[in-house]
Amino acid sequence: MTWPQALQEAIEQFADVFDPMERYEMLFEWASDVNELPIEEWNDANRIHGCQSQAHVECHMEDGMFYMRGGADAQIVQGLMAITCLAVNGRPPEEVVAIEPTFVDEMGLKASLTPSRSNGFLNMFKRVQDEAGLLTEGA
Amino acid sequence: MALDMKAIRADFPILSRKVAGGKDLVYLDNAATTQKPQSVIDAMTHYYERSNANVHRAVHTLATEATEQYENARDTLAAWFGTTRDNLIFTSGTTEAINLVAWGWARSNLNAGDAIVITEMEHHADIVPWQLLAEEKGIEIRVVPIDTERDILDMDIFSASLPGSSLVCVVHTSNVLGVANPVADIIAQSHDAGAKVLIDAAQAAPHHRIDFTGMGADFVAISGHKMCGPTGIGCLLATTESIEEMEPFMSGGDMIETVTMEKSTFAKGPQKFEAGTPKIAEAIGFAAAADYLSNFDMDELHGHIRGLAMYTASEIKSVPGITVYGDHSVSEGSGVVSFLHDSVHAEDLARFMDAGGFAMRTGHHCAQPLLNAYGVTSTNRVSFYLYNTMEEAEAFVEHLRYIIGKFG
Repeated sequence: MTWPQALQEAIEQFADVFDPMERYEMLFEWASDVNELPIEEWNDANRIHGCQSQAHVECHMEDGMFYMRGGADAQIVQGLMAITCLAVNGRPPEEVVAIEPTFVDEMGLKASLTPSRSNGFLNMFKRVQDEAGLLTEGA
Repeated sequence: MALDMKAIRADFPILSRKVAGGKDLVYLDNAATTQKPQSVIDAMTHYYERSNANVHRAVHTLATEATEQYENARDTLAAWFGTTRDNLIFTSGTTEAINLVAWGWARSNLNAGDAIVITEMEHHADIVPWQLLAEEKGIEIRVVPIDTERDILDMDIFSASLPGSSLVCVVHTSNVLGVANPVADIIAQSHDAGAKVLIDAAQAAPHHRIDFTGMGADFVAISGHKMCGPTGIGCLLATTESIEEMEPFMSGGDMIETVTMEKSTFAKGPQKFEAGTPKIAEAIGFAAAADYLSNFDMDELHGHIRGLAMYTASEIKSVPGITVYGDHSVSEGSGVVSFLHDSVHAEDLARFMDAGGFAMRTGHHCAQPLLNAYGVTSTNRVSFYLYNTMEEAEAFVEHLRYIIGKFG
């Protein structure tokens, strides 16, 4: 799969860093790059279950393309959302449905995630894809 | 006599490993599970290498050895916990022990309208079984709240909740706050009111010699893995009267006397509640853990552990934005220090500390009602044990200050 340039750059940047602390710092910094879902819009319907922190995702269409907004109380989670935004935003929803999140492996993210956190990340990604699927059906 | 920390740490092989790209491991998650001394590892390995067979069944050499070792483990642990072999039921841990009381004793001895007293300080294992039982039997659950100003149970409400109660279930030492409850007073009051008492000693047994006979409780639940033993093994200590009142909730092999297609009769004593092939190696390892701890003065160990917690709590309280939960000004209590920063999320903080080699816990610690009482959904938690050093506590404080300074 061809990733958007911004995500490709993020993949290469992250993969070049081996120190766990530096990796977390990068995710922490990327948190501010997310298409933010403000806290006022957090609700049970857009909550991602399976995360230890509170994580919320909202998905919609703009000019026929898929977009997600995300928000979390943990900055590292929000950083992961920012990466996900790079992978999915601006794509046709049917492409989002078909994405295999291999960028997680390419970045070496799994090594930085405990099972609970990576399950939370995969839960979020699946949720985004499910939302894309619904938007595809409704199109 | 001062503890020989170098010798103690040498007993635990895992403490020499590196994490997070070559950093020394500082293991501070002992309330979740403790590390195992070589003697425990060797005891289990030796059993599997030399004596592995099923117990209570065959008469061949290995079966005899395995049975002897398994039952000797029961004797060792019964002596360690101040009771007899007839009052020690092996379980998979505290959770199963409490469930055994719920489904083995309470289900057949309590009826609709009877009351069970629990507290806001309990681990989920001492809340959820009672809720399920209450739904099934129409039993009343009375909850004693925590006084969050003083970090202790509201003993006035406790006393007021006792009249007419049949069972009182209280945690000895909180896995979140590290505070120890006034167990002697709780047991005395409960018995005066005619109620049986279950004590969750999961966090107490690692720090103190539990004297079951002296304590006077009717049931005490213990986990082996929190006191240097293997995971998957623990025990329920129960009075003879209580055991005679219990019905099995797991049944099948080994707990029977006779079985026909019409009816079965059951073994007597603890074996009635140990269905199936037991965790033989784990029981042997659990006894080896008790043997290991018998090398120490437990009061001295407790003083060391509690001292590390008191130091750490005192130091991190001065870190801007940190709230520490629990009263660490008192010498009673465990090695637990729970805390929260007002802007760095608990999980992020745990991640950053892990990157520095510090293993600590984050989350609700299976105590959501307790955290709710304090108005939080998660905390960070460090928990010290016998092999932790003051140098480690100091390093933890220093790294925490660094992380908060950078990201707070």
